[in-house]
Amino acid sequence: MPQLALEVFSPNWSTDAGCVVLEQERVLAASPLARAAGVQIGMRRGGVLMLMPEARIVERSLEREAEALHAVAMALLQYTPQVAQAEESTLLIDIGASLRLFGGIRALCRRVRASLRALGFSGYLSCAPTARGAWLLARKRAGRVLRIASLTRRLDRMPSALLPPARAYAAWFEGIGCFDLGAMQRLPRPGLQRRCGRALLDMLDAAYGMSPELFEWIEAPTVFHAKIELFDRIENAEECLQGAQRLVQQLTGWLCAHQLAVERITLLLEHERGKVARPATKVEIALAEPTWRDEHLIRLLKERLAQVVLEAPVIGLALDAPQLQPMAPLNESLFPEPGGSEEDRVRMLELLIARLGPDNVLQALPQADYRPEVANTWVPVQQKVRESVRCAQMPADVHSLPRPTWILAKPIALLMRNHRPFYGSPLKMASTPERIEAGWWSQTQTRDYFIAEGQDHTLYWVYRERIVGASEDANPRWFLHGLFG
Amino acid sequence: MACSPHTAAPEDLHPSLWRASQLAHSNARCVDTGHPTLSRQLPGGGWPTGTLIDLLLQQPGIGEMRLLRPALAAAASRRIVLLQPPHPPQALALAALGVPPSQLIWLRAGRGADALWAAEQVLRSGSCGALLFWTNHVRGESLRRLHLAAQCGETLFFMMRPLASAQDSSPAPLRLSLRPAAGGLDIGFVKRRGPQRDAPLFLPLTPSLLQRHATVDRPVFAPASARGLQPELVN
Repeated sequence: MPQLALEVFSPNWSTDAGCVVLEQERVLAASPLARAAGVQIGMRRGGVLMLMPEARIVERSLEREAEALHAVAMALLQYTPQVAQAEESTLLIDIGASLRLFGGIRALCRRVRASLRALGFSGYLSCAPTARGAWLLARKRAGRVLRIASLTRRLDRMPSALLPPARAYAAWFEGIGCFDLGAMQRLPRPGLQRRCGRALLDMLDAAYGMSPELFEWIEAPTVFHAKIELFDRIENAEECLQGAQRLVQQLTGWLCAHQLAVERITLLLEHERGKVARPATKVEIALAEPTWRDEHLIRLLKERLAQVVLEAPVIGLALDAPQLQPMAPLNESLFPEPGGSEEDRVRMLELLIARLGPDNVLQALPQADYRPEVANTWVPVQQKVRESVRCAQMPADVHSLPRPTWILAKPIALLMRNHRPFYGSPLKMASTPERIEAGWWSQTQTRDYFIAEGQDHTLYWVYRERIVGASEDANPRWFLHGLFG
Repeated sequence: MACSPHTAAPEDLHPSLWRASQLAHSNARCVDTGHPTLSRQLPGGGWPTGTLIDLLLQQPGIGEMRLLRPALAAAASRRIVLLQPPHPPQALALAALGVPPSQLIWLRAGRGADALWAAEQVLRSGSCGALLFWTNHVRGESLRRLHLAAQCGETLFFMMRPLASAQDSSPAPLRLSLRPAAGGLDIGFVKRRGPQRDAPLFLPLTPSLLQRHATVDRPVFAPASARGLQPELVN
């Protein structure tokens, strides 16, 4: 990752504010905006300030770079369990065993590149049969090599000063006309070892695949907690999504390394501490079904963040995974069902709940009650309902029960004209009444329901309130309660 | 040259060609409407899946659900989503129409944009059997977007809109207007892949409303008091 020193301060998704990184008072890296203003590598602070007074000048932070490298390593754990750090902000990953799973080297490279982008870093990717060979190719930005013969050819043309132990002797190598690794390989080995040390020879052998390589693979920590500091103050919750994506990438890598799936995640949006300390805003996402893939988590986070109203600017993000489960890979069927799997449906419902709210995604749970309002109960989809319970509540004669498809939330009192209820037009009773008299324990209903027909042949479900004990000539009160769809 | 008897009829050349006097044969999979008189008037002989179908209603509750009953019952092996229905749906009535309550999902959306988003998500996921979407105002580009989303899957997708929107253009290949009539529905063909038909089609709908209750005495009696009943009435 050649831009690491810069990108720990201004990740590639943030707006470029002219960031310049100094090391020992010399410019080490500069963002495109700063470079366009004329800032060059090696300049002094004064020069930068003269060219670009508004530049954000920061001192190089090795600690941050190490942290960032660790974050990237964590995210890459989703592709292989073997990730190692190498010199000069490089990561080595062993993908020999992952090729088949991710659909070949090209597909894998694409995914690794996408992950890096999501993390906010830009990197250069090379593949080679040996790790040191890949390291050299990446340093030289020389692409992908898959066979050892072509790797040898490619390495032979590499400049000799590329290997770190050879840099101290660069002048000597140039003096004896040894410009590339091929020439270095042909030098007498005992002499080379005496002059330049064992390390150079080992590295050379490792690059050409003549000696085995040993690495210290990075181990994922046992508890997941990731946080990033944002470099601008973000006032809009949706803009946090980029940072959250980076955290989710790390989470995915960590979950894959531990073979776990997550059931609940918490995203903390940390606010600036002004005069009063504000507690961090908490965005909690509970999943109906444990997952370890990032696409679904990111879509849910996006919908949730769109609803969050920030009361103060956000300066940091932290992600926790408090509830975990062992990963249960899907059963892939040989002939996929056309209608999508059960998981697809659960995922769709979760997404709908994230945006519309749990009270607006409802499932039917009919109750065994004579009163139509009570019988027609809808509960949030998240509530688990056993099929047998639902069936037990259904009336036996459901197919012959005259019930309207649409039931009004509140019955409408009907006008009376010529002793007939009137709704748009005079209503004519089209059926015999159905008497519903129930609910003495809470809300008593004594009603005679009729199906009424308007003049335009629309059918309505109306009822006449029966008032027990009222005299016969009391005016009946009619209500509209439903529409037959 | 123009009309030699050896030239193949255009409808035999390619499935997407038809004469103006014929109904198109649809490539899309169709679900039988369950009403033979209506099926004969529709290209493909049924409701096409994976397209936007516009139903223009005079008002909600005129028999539109009874019209869709056979199709919904066929689609009820998967979930049926009711998005923004005009009134709370009654699960028992839908069960009587053949849709078990366990397959129903009722979505309420606060804003129009949320409703359109939800419709698109349901269509894109493709895991639901049917989507019924009630809306009053929708812009042409939103309709086009929904139509595209519908083509991703095989979901039956009906949009229920007021009759007034028949004037507006719509990308839906099938648009029907529904008006109540005595004992059924008058279906007008606003747009279909086939000949223009001006006369509405009358479709009798069996009311699921049976006269199963005995007549109730009209006058309201005073509640019986204890020991107030004559002994011969008790038997």
